[in-house]
Amino acid sequence: MLRDPNMRKYAAGWALFAVFLLALPYVASTGTLRIFIFANFIAIFAMSWDILSGRTGYISFGHPFLIGIAAYTSAMLTYHLGTPLYLSIPAGIIATMVGGTFFFVPALRIRGTYFALVTLAFMELIYQLTQVLRPDITGGTRGLSGLPTILTGALPNYYLSSAVMFVIAVCLWLLIRTRLGTALSAISMDEDAVKSSGLDTTKLKLFAFMVSAFVAGVGGTLYVHYLGSIAPRAIFDINFLFTILIAALLGGASTIIGPIMGAFFLTFLLEYLRPLIPGTERYFIYGSIALIVYVLEPKGLYHIIQRLYGALMRRGEA
Amino acid sequence: MSVLLELRNISKRFGGLTAVNDLSYHVDEGESLGLIGPNGAGKTTTFNLIMNELRLTSGQIIYRGTNIEKLPTHKRVQEGIVRTYQVPRPFHEMPVSDNIRIGMMPENIGAMIAEAPDPDAELAIARSVGFGEREFAMYPGELSMGDLRRLELARTIAAAPKLLLLDEVFAGLTVAEIGQITELLLEKRKDGLTYIIVSHDLRSLAPLVDRVVAMSFGSLLSEGSFDEVLADEKVQEAYLGT
Repeated sequence: MLRDPNMRKYAAGWALFAVFLLALPYVASTGTLRIFIFANFIAIFAMSWDILSGRTGYISFGHPFLIGIAAYTSAMLTYHLGTPLYLSIPAGIIATMVGGTFFFVPALRIRGTYFALVTLAFMELIYQLTQVLRPDITGGTRGLSGLPTILTGALPNYYLSSAVMFVIAVCLWLLIRTRLGTALSAISMDEDAVKSSGLDTTKLKLFAFMVSAFVAGVGGTLYVHYLGSIAPRAIFDINFLFTILIAALLGGASTIIGPIMGAFFLTFLLEYLRPLIPGTERYFIYGSIALIVYVLEPKGLYHIIQRLYGALMRRGEA
Repeated sequence: MSVLLELRNISKRFGGLTAVNDLSYHVDEGESLGLIGPNGAGKTTTFNLIMNELRLTSGQIIYRGTNIEKLPTHKRVQEGIVRTYQVPRPFHEMPVSDNIRIGMMPENIGAMIAEAPDPDAELAIARSVGFGEREFAMYPGELSMGDLRRLELARTIAAAPKLLLLDEVFAGLTVAEIGQITELLLEKRKDGLTYIIVSHDLRSLAPLVDRVVAMSFGSLLSEGSFDEVLADEKVQEAYLGT
């Protein structure tokens, strides 16, 4: 990795992104910062999806399930027991990793559409359970509100969400550039051929899942303690799921940088469409844009930018 | 010479169909064994059973004196049994270099993360199958069928095999490509590599093998030297249907 001749270029790219995130509050309004906070969370969730599904090809429709376990665990601990956030947040993350393992790992034995459908069923299952099973604890349909927040105000929350998103992004990006990243990618191409190359794909998928669940747990707990409330329809929702999924796919699955691009593009697109088309019809616009991008470049925005950059460099050399 | 792999009365049934029926043969260390038979004889199924890509219905597979029944595919590869596929199965979205890298991966996830790959060793393996630096950077979609077969070989060699199972390595190749692969296999044989080779191309198989096992309808038909097996009436009947 260190021998990679492009490493300096990538490091400069990441530094530039960090400077952009740091400097943004000096030029952006509070409203824009709030949109960025939301985009940061979508980026975290999309990266969590990407490290499992984008890399290994096991398309998860159940990521809200993972996010929800973490968010609900921390929310319930703080709401009912008054647990401090520095304990409830790690507890939420651990709950997602353990609970997720219980459900997801057996599902990782099935492939393709079946895996996607089974994980979708997990999300629906927990949506129903949070409403009917001990609503006195989960808050039932209404959920829980008045939860403690980590920070108050747009600016501190912007910096917190940006810092967490940035650290996760760099760590995951470095991870996919190792041989482990190559092995996970190979699973998405031909899992049996990976096995017959001597690699334990079960172990590899479990590791990818654990990382994915950890990131989903971090994002989920921070998100709920940013909002200060939680409701089943807000988390275990098909629109929420598709926002995560389309952010990752639109940006460029299996790249980590792509899902961040997708999350920012999507969030801002929806926000800027809001005054023009206030209803849910604006999802039609973003769906159409996603479709056009897929037709142009199925690998997403990241690859479009890479191609443009390559063309510019070649023109510069000529 | 000690026995490296022994199949003891192995069978594989798919419902009412018996693909491999009470088959027994062995391969010695350093030996090259040809496995022949008409279409549907059960040759590839035998490879699938040796690799545990299919579960045995009955029988035993003994490798270096141990029954490997419980070993999953990846463990068998780590023990040195490696195979190629009848239709090459490269990782299409990775360059040749990364395809070889997959074969050289350490088992431990921590080592996969912490230890950097060794491009020099990867290139050396690519060179050993006749690739140059140009092919090393190419994607499987840009390679000819002959080069795809080389890539399969490179990936298997990267996994440090003790026993190589070669499934129809000459299929779809030009005469020149067959010559190149033959040369490569002869070289590996000189290095002491043991292999079992399945091929319909008997003429190409002849210089490569010490011994031949012929199969038909999942059962052993004949066993011996190349000439002995081909002269066997049962084998001729199975091939020609006379």
